Amino acid sequence: METRTLHVDYLTRVEGEGALELRIEDGRLISAQLRIFEPPRLFEALLRGRTYAEVPDIVARICGICPIAYQMSAVHAIERAFGHTVEGQLRSLRRLVYCGEWIESHALHVSMLHAPDFLGYPDAIRMAREHAEIVRNALALKKAGNELIRVLGGREIHPINVKPGGFYRVPTRSELTAIEATLERARDLAVRLVRWVAGFPFPDFERDYEFVALRHPEEYPFNEGRLVSSAGLDIDISDFDRQFEERQVPHSTALHAGIRGRGAYLVGPLARYALNFDRLPASVQALAREAGLGPVCRNPFRSIIVRAIEIVYACEEALGLIAAYEPPEVAAVPLTPRPGIGFGCTEAPRGICWHRYEFDADGNVLTARIVPPTSQNQPSMEADLAAIASTALEEPDEVLRERCERSIRNHDPCISCSAHFLKLSVLRP
Amino acid sequence: MRPAAAHRVAVTALGHSYRGDDAVGLLVAEALQGLLPEDVPVLLDRGDALSLLDHWSERDAVVCVDACASMGKAGRVHRLDLSIDGLPPQGAGASSHALGLAEAIALSRALRLAPRKVIVYAIEGRCFDPGAEPTPEVAAAVTPVARCVARDVVRLRQAI
Repeated sequence: METRTLHVDYLTRVEGEGALELRIEDGRLISAQLRIFEPPRLFEALLRGRTYAEVPDIVARICGICPIAYQMSAVHAIERAFGHTVEGQLRSLRRLVYCGEWIESHALHVSMLHAPDFLGYPDAIRMAREHAEIVRNALALKKAGNELIRVLGGREIHPINVKPGGFYRVPTRSELTAIEATLERARDLAVRLVRWVAGFPFPDFERDYEFVALRHPEEYPFNEGRLVSSAGLDIDISDFDRQFEERQVPHSTALHAGIRGRGAYLVGPLARYALNFDRLPASVQALAREAGLGPVCRNPFRSIIVRAIEIVYACEEALGLIAAYEPPEVAAVPLTPRPGIGFGCTEAPRGICWHRYEFDADGNVLTARIVPPTSQNQPSMEADLAAIASTALEEPDEVLRERCERSIRNHDPCISCSAHFLKLSVLRP
Repeated sequence: MRPAAAHRVAVTALGHSYRGDDAVGLLVAEALQGLLPEDVPVLLDRGDALSLLDHWSERDAVVCVDACASMGKAGRVHRLDLSIDGLPPQGAGASSHALGLAEAIALSRALRLAPRKVIVYAIEGRCFDPGAEPTPEVAAAVTPVARCVARDVVRLRQAI
């Protein structure tokens, strides 16, 4: 029996510490694993005993690239537990700050991490030597997103201005209109980005994912909606545990998630787009069609186009929200703690980020659960890995390795976010 | 005849104050208070040098201060003039979401945003543990490095 094992010890151009392992026996792929060995983060445990007001600032520390997602899921869960709903301009400001996060996160991945795969460069630095304008534009896009987060969140990384009930401080109208010109330029750059990535050579590869995303009656989803899937799931976010399950696997500090009875599913841009194409403005739909996309895209390599489309959407949405902005009378609505359980689920750049908190009568956290998008996507990423590797088993290791790494980068995994603590079993005679 | 305007120079200090010797760049920045001309900013970066590219593009010269991995002697100072010494080899990078100093300089050069002159002070660290204090050997390097940086700044403002 001939056995061939391919190890990729450190995945590059993904966030956090992960590795790949393929086992091939007699020319057949036996296993394909995405090994996540990022150390445990322990956030759910350290939230216990903290008051609800501290939660947004603590969970923001889970990720430097998508802190808004964690803050938004947390504040919605807290408000739901206490029986409050934030409306009007405060709600709009929450969509606005989320636009900033999508812009900066997607711009980074599309231009700096994913694009080199299609152009044959090992990294963005070497790509920049021949595509300097593209990279400069990407940095300008990222800066525009960062600027929104800075104005609304207080600072770009680990923002500190989000609180349950609203914000600690809301911007003046002039503070937001000062960003309009930057966002208009960002929208133009994003449209050019869509056209650029649409011209990449894409492998002819599709997978029959079950897509899962939020769906709102009127909007392309950020903070609110029901959880729906391409296989007909349509539930309130509080029913997540009835339909989804998480399990530990030996090779990963991230929990694997699956739909009960069905298994792997996919969250993120491909899912959001497929389940909410009709919620995009007509101009963005037209741009997607011009870029060769239909209303559903099942080719994970083409997710780069979908991300670019979502940058355009986020710029347009941000400009609309700013145009309609009138400073609210209060920066935050007062909350009255009560014992109970609250759920929050919002659309992080990489897909749904689900939170559940249980509070005592004083608003202290009794239990916390956080299900980030990357851990939900892990089984699908491994299935992609197996499918893509199976088509290249005869290739030399370097070629096989490059294809496998690309299959993972298609999903922009944030491994640092996904790491949980594995249960430790000690067996003694 | 008017004297030529001083060259635009900045100091960039990198590091994290919660990670032991990684804080040395920030400590040098503190020690530079009162040592630099008023028009020379000290830019602090706590982990993502990507955000510095905009600032660098507006400068003729930049002096960077950062901790580096130990090569055997904590507190030893390496001064690199990148117009002479070149960039150290780049690793794969542990994070895609934040660039290190060498990567940021390489990217700024590729984008033709780099200052004409880049000097790097790299101070060997021994302990980068979360929550640790800087080790005595590294702390002892702070004042001497600050004086060297200040001298470089004066020279760079006059002649590049």
